[in-house]
Amino acid sequence: MDLTTSLKICGSGLAAQRAKLDIITSNLANINTTRTPEGGPYRKKTIALAAETVADNFDSTIKEAVRSVRIDEVKEDTNGIKMVYDPSHPDADAKGYVAMPNINIMSEMADMITASRAYEACVTAFESTKNMTMKTLEMGR
Amino acid sequence: MNNMAISNTPIVSAAGQKDGQTRTGSTSGFSDALFNAVNEVNNQHQTADKAILNVQAGNTGGLHEAMIALEKADISFRTMLTVRNKIIEAYQEIMRMQV
Repeated sequence: MDLTTSLKICGSGLAAQRAKLDIITSNLANINTTRTPEGGPYRKKTIALAAETVADNFDSTIKEAVRSVRIDEVKEDTNGIKMVYDPSHPDADAKGYVAMPNINIMSEMADMITASRAYEACVTAFESTKNMTMKTLEMGR
Repeated sequence: MNNMAISNTPIVSAAGQKDGQTRTGSTSGFSDALFNAVNEVNNQHQTADKAILNVQAGNTGGLHEAMIALEKADISFRTMLTVRNKIIEAYQEIMRMQV
């Protein structure tokens, strides 16, 4: 693979995982948020990634196969809003129930580990690409 | 970082003049190639500089983008260095030639 293409794909992967981690952080930070600009409690957000073709000049066979990743959209999950009984809460309804965000802290933590491991994998791929290039330059010694 | 970059203007202008002179002759191939290579390396370094500045100023562009730009600059510089070493080697070999 072309060096710059490889680095570009690594970069897109890192950016995607960073975005994913940002969304997870936002979900975790807003785990008790009951007020949002759209109204109602905060809703769990999920990120959708899309593959994108990149122009690779190195090999015509892998030209079509090589894909970088792009952040496609962020979706809100509107299902599973929890109704918690807490009459003292300022946002409690007439029956004393408060609509709480539909965030499961365990699944967020698991997603966070996945994202950070994927990020590390991208960094490793980057290092490996760099090592290969350095080895290639050693041919000239 | 600024110290690491190949100085921005002098090389480009000097090489540019030289480039202009040689282009009129028929022997422009090698110097052109070398000039373009040096210019490319210089561009990479300037891009890396900008990326680092952006990160430090807290502007757009993530840290990873800056690191990738840095690595690109590093690799292109090393490639240029290898080419340079090869040229010097060939030159010295010619100088050692018995006449």
